[in-house]
Amino acid sequence: MSALVLVAIALITYGSRAAAVVLLPRPSPRFEIILSRIPAAIFASLATATLLGDGGALAAGPTLGAAAGALVVSPRRSLLLCLVGGVVGYATGAWLG
Amino acid sequence: MFGTLYGAAARGVLGVPLTLVSSLLVYSGALQFALVALLGAGATILPLVLTTVVLNLRHLVLGAALRSRFESGPLRRALLAFFLVDETFGFAIAAGNRAAPRAVGAVTERTLLFAGLTLYAAWLVGTVVGVLGGGLAAVEGAAGAIFPVLFIGLASLAATRRSHAVRALAAAVLTAAVALLFPGLRMLAPVVAGVLVALPGRDR
Repeated sequence: MSALVLVAIALITYGSRAAAVVLLPRPSPRFEIILSRIPAAIFASLATATLLGDGGALAAGPTLGAAAGALVVSPRRSLLLCLVGGVVGYATGAWLG
Repeated sequence: MFGTLYGAAARGVLGVPLTLVSSLLVYSGALQFALVALLGAGATILPLVLTTVVLNLRHLVLGAALRSRFESGPLRRALLAFFLVDETFGFAIAAGNRAAPRAVGAVTERTLLFAGLTLYAAWLVGTVVGVLGGGLAAVEGAAGAIFPVLFIGLASLAATRRSHAVRALAAAVLTAAVALLFPGLRMLAPVVAGVLVALPGRDR
């Protein structure tokens, strides 16, 4: 990634923050509901994408173990717990593999 | 802590200067981790920009909720906007809710600024420690495992309703299907799947 792309990403990010705070009216309730659904879906998709390589090859055992560990504790909705679960899963995966 | 993880994980993908500049200018943990994961998987500019746009859409909702409480002028609001992240939004709204009715605007703005500066400083220091920390070789070696764990954690935090979790699961399945059937679209799939599953139906 070049510095120019990074600056563009920074500008898009700041613009999205400033748009509503400084310029835009509040989104419609329907649009707000749709927007609220997007982050969880994208993060779950990104998690999947990082577990799959080219051609659908699965990640290494410790990485799969880490993901499984995080998934197990994810209903608790704590990032710290997910990290702990991931570490335990990673160690378990490495031990088994 | 998360800044340190980011610095350690991003150093090998972005290099030291861009890793530091990314935290300085972007200041968005979720987005920065997503970009590094995409870059590490060989993504081109289009998926990077699309992911940036779509992940930032939520700022419109957060900003709109804060805007109705702010009382200061556009310049001060433009400054405060830089510190709008998920965590500072939560702090600011909670502080405003506890304030007396006449003080809601001032308390919300002050909390956003104070929390934003604190988290920004912590994020920058953490990134520097992660980038420079020679003792973090183990973390760097496990960087491939950090991303799915973080994204699962972020998804669980973002899923405030059961239907969000169901949609997240559907998006994960859709992404896996696209990655298997159309390998060339693998890094575009998360954005497309995330938006597609968000559109239909009602929340429960």
